[in-house]
Amino acid sequence: MNDEELTLLGVVILFGVGVYGLLLTHHLIKIVIALQIIGKAVIIAFAVAGTMSERVQLAQSLIVTIIVADTMVAVISLALVIQVKQRLGTLDARELSNLRR
Amino acid sequence: MTAWLVGLTIGLPWLGALIVWRVPDHSPQRQHGIAVIASLLTAAVSIGLLTTYSTEVALRLHIGGIFGDFILVPDGLGVLLAAIAAIIGSLTVIFSVAYMEHEACLSRYYALVLIFIGTMAGLVLAGNLLLMFFFWEITALCSYALIAFDHDNPAAVAGGLKALVITQLGGIGLLIGALTAYGRFGTDEIAVLLARAETLSKTELSLIAFSFLIAAMAKSAQVPFHSWLPGAMEAPTPISALIHAATMVNAGVYLLARFYPAFEDVTGWTTAVMTVGIVSALLAALMALVANDLKRVLAYSTISQLGYMVFAVGAGGIFASQFHLLSHAMFKALLFLGAGAVIHSVGTRDIRQMGGLWRSMPQVTIAFIIGAMALVGIPGTNGFWSKELILERGVEDSSPVFVVGLLIGVGLTALYTLRLIWLVFGGTPRFSGQVHEAPSAMRISLGILAVGSLVTWLLVSPLSKMLAETLPYHHLHSETTRDVISDVMTAPITVLALGWVALGFLLWGFHHRLGWLIARLQLLSQIAGQDFGFEALNRVVMRSTSTLAERLRSTQTGELNWNIWGIVAGLVVILIYVAVEV
Repeated sequence: MNDEELTLLGVVILFGVGVYGLLLTHHLIKIVIALQIIGKAVIIAFAVAGTMSERVQLAQSLIVTIIVADTMVAVISLALVIQVKQRLGTLDARELSNLRR
Repeated sequence: MTAWLVGLTIGLPWLGALIVWRVPDHSPQRQHGIAVIASLLTAAVSIGLLTTYSTEVALRLHIGGIFGDFILVPDGLGVLLAAIAAIIGSLTVIFSVAYMEHEACLSRYYALVLIFIGTMAGLVLAGNLLLMFFFWEITALCSYALIAFDHDNPAAVAGGLKALVITQLGGIGLLIGALTAYGRFGTDEIAVLLARAETLSKTELSLIAFSFLIAAMAKSAQVPFHSWLPGAMEAPTPISALIHAATMVNAGVYLLARFYPAFEDVTGWTTAVMTVGIVSALLAALMALVANDLKRVLAYSTISQLGYMVFAVGAGGIFASQFHLLSHAMFKALLFLGAGAVIHSVGTRDIRQMGGLWRSMPQVTIAFIIGAMALVGIPGTNGFWSKELILERGVEDSSPVFVVGLLIGVGLTALYTLRLIWLVFGGTPRFSGQVHEAPSAMRISLGILAVGSLVTWLLVSPLSKMLAETLPYHHLHSETTRDVISDVMTAPITVLALGWVALGFLLWGFHHRLGWLIARLQLLSQIAGQDFGFEALNRVVMRSTSTLAERLRSTQTGELNWNIWGIVAGLVVILIYVAVEV
């Protein structure tokens, strides 16, 4: 197994960890963390893809874009999480859906 | 030149709609004025278009991507229907000036009417299936918005929704057909489908043919998809005249006529079309006989007459169907507008509470009777010539069962029309209050349509020439007015049909002495009054759909984990599919 395949395996594992987190957790901050893990997996995947196709510059520009977007997603969702905690007093997604009914 | 005319026929009313939409409600005179000017200009342009018909592409809009070019082709079939929409549209707008006086939200009303006129022209001039589908759906939306125009009235809103749902079903049929053709030919041009239909496999062609039939049945309110049209009578009466009698409901007949050459060899297709037409013509005529709402009687009669047109297409009588379409547009718009004048002045739609109106509204009565004569097919009116052509076609190209059905339909038409006229205009008044003659704006429209109902049959020769020259796949041969007169006058079916009309009149004349017969038919009349159970069927379908939707709602928990499970499961399915394919 060469370096690239090894990295791709890592990507799959990282992605799996993120999805696993989303599947099981109800905690809002953990959901944000899981989303970030998936985002990082995607970034590494782009880096590997750039090396493999020898279009590193394209990959770099895409990665920078993703980092910016991903950071904004993290910041805004964490801000929302803080608001939720302050106003509704809970961080449990199930309890929040029960509020709707 | 033609490009300009085509563009203006569609664009002018749309532009008018944009302008009238911006006029505030406190200046109704300006709203009326702009709408009348825009619709009259459109009618003038459409008449210009009638003289410049051709098979060439008049306007090509480059859209790019998978859509390629959108084209507009002003061939005979297209310009005829565009002109009907524009001319009757302008007459109904003039009528509305009096009818919609003192109503609120006139900007919305006129904008929707004008959008409809432009869209209808676009629908019939479109040279691509997808463009046609686009216009097809906009006409349905306009129809919905205008039926539900009075949105404080629950019946109007329900009627609008029903019309929207059922015509959308038909729209799906059109889309399936269009996409199948596109998938096979790589283009959605109508001319390509017509030219290369025989290169399709039998299954594909049947799929397209029957999808289009369903689309046409829903749009033209044919049994069992007819129940939206009586419900649509909650719309303001000029709308019933324009959209639900003279133009939009013709789109189904237009679709069948347009694609007839491609589908005529599909097994069972023509028989299915003829059966749908006859069944609709007969059942709707029976329902018209027992209905007590003036507009509903006319709505059932529209379904019945559309049945005749659908039948004519199935029997290969493309010219007869389009000729009857023209006649019907004229006389049914006249009847609806006449009914509108009556309703406007009496204040009810129940014909049991009318009567004796010929004394107070003599001019409306004359106009209405001219329309009714055309509907029955009395010699001298346009309805006579077009209906006889359909009957003749039926004798030539279908089985005797169909011919008997057609004749019974003719008798029933005479019967319900005479009942309607007697109850509304004859006898003694059964209402209290003053009734006045219609305002002049109404009488202008009624007068023009009444003259039209008497003379449009003289256009046989140019109409037939126009269709024969521009529809290469239909193999029509052009007929002169003299040919048609001698054909109709020498055909035995004409005498037979007039005999049936006379029988229908006699039955009504002696209906007081026929108590025993009517008592025997009580059951039939009850079933007809219940819409032959189609209304109940409709309700069952609606209710089960909403119950199913309610049940399915429980799968939408809104919980993240549950949705992620769905995504992962979807991903697994795709991965397995890819693995198997590789």
